[in-house]
Amino acid sequence: MKKFIPVGVLLLILFMGGCYSCNTQQSLVKKDEAVKSAWANVQTQYQRRADLIDNLVATVKGAANFEKETLTAVIEARASASKITMNANDLTPEKLQQFQASQGQLSQALGRLMVVSEQYPELKANQNFLALQDEIAGTENRIAFSRTSFNDAVQAYNITVRTFPNNLLAGMFGFQTKGMFEAEAGAQKAPKVQF
Amino acid sequence: MTTLAADSDFPNPPNPPRLVNDFSSILSDAEMQLLEDSVEAIEKRTSNQITIVIIKSTGPYDIADYATQLGNQWGVGVKGRENGILLLVAIEDRKMTIATGRGLEGALTDAMCGRIIRNEIKPAFKQGLYLDGLLQAVSALDLATRGEYKGIDRKHAEKPRGFSIGLILFILLIIFILSKGNNNRGGGITPFLGGMLMGGGFGGGSNNDSDNGGFGGFGGGSFGGGGASGSW
Repeated sequence: MKKFIPVGVLLLILFMGGCYSCNTQQSLVKKDEAVKSAWANVQTQYQRRADLIDNLVATVKGAANFEKETLTAVIEARASASKITMNANDLTPEKLQQFQASQGQLSQALGRLMVVSEQYPELKANQNFLALQDEIAGTENRIAFSRTSFNDAVQAYNITVRTFPNNLLAGMFGFQTKGMFEAEAGAQKAPKVQF
Repeated sequence: MTTLAADSDFPNPPNPPRLVNDFSSILSDAEMQLLEDSVEAIEKRTSNQITIVIIKSTGPYDIADYATQLGNQWGVGVKGRENGILLLVAIEDRKMTIATGRGLEGALTDAMCGRIIRNEIKPAFKQGLYLDGLLQAVSALDLATRGEYKGIDRKHAEKPRGFSIGLILFILLIIFILSKGNNNRGGGITPFLGGMLMGGGFGGGSNNDSDNGGFGGFGGGSFGGGGASGSW
């Protein structure tokens, strides 16, 4: 009889461990899916911006001798940003950084174009241009929002992957930590919100 | 870009719930009530929750980002329909934004919101006519959700206060005279006129329609970042 006690304890431990790893695996899958859907939304918004930029370029081209340099910079940044495609199954920190850098370059070029366009009264009176400007600004805000949601999802996922003993199991099941968007450098210590 | 949100950066949802929230007191009580009545009337008719929030400054936040987060925190709109609209004004920043709930992004495109800001709000705000700008915006937003706002003829946008107090008093006087003078002819015309008053006065904002019910509260709607901003 005494012989069976250690075996029973062992079985119990194995059983509990199995339950635990099953739970961990399930929760990882769930969180992984949440990250993927958040990523899909990020991509949709960036794609929407790219499409709007095409329209914007076409409209601006029509304006009498618009600064070529600025326009070319946007077209080129748009082209190189669209080259970096990312798979939802492969959101490594390095890849995400690349993606963010190329989109950031496009943002900068686009920002310059918006500033330069202020000097063209013809554009400022163009309803189509104004509409595109609004759509792009709205899309930038959607991008910012979708990035925050994505980061939240990744954070929840990464915490599960990294904490002991999940980290042992996560490696076994093939779950790796994922990359997050970094806050763009800018006003950190700025004035306070006032109601 | 998105600033990390601290809870203290956002005002608590109003209790009791209101659609018009002027934290920086640029509107008088009567003006607030007028606005409240007009947005509540729209809410009753369409269930769209047009919420107006006036603060001093969004500080480090981009105003569009701030409005999106505030709309989500308060849950403006009805869950499932996601039909909230948040019109945020930052007085000291001289900026305004319209944030659209996810369900309204189709009818109220960013471009449409931009047009409403440029054509309805900005010209009035430039003259310091805050109430006028907001009323015109509310009316334009309502029309736009029905696909009827064109944003070309500014004067076309009807003002909810078009039904003046004077007119209502005049109708009341007629009812009074008729009911005094024609007792023997029965209630033929009086209920008819009374009904007209009730029906026509709905948009007036000065009768008691808003008392039976009022605004029931936000419904957990969500915002995805759509809308447009401007400055004056």
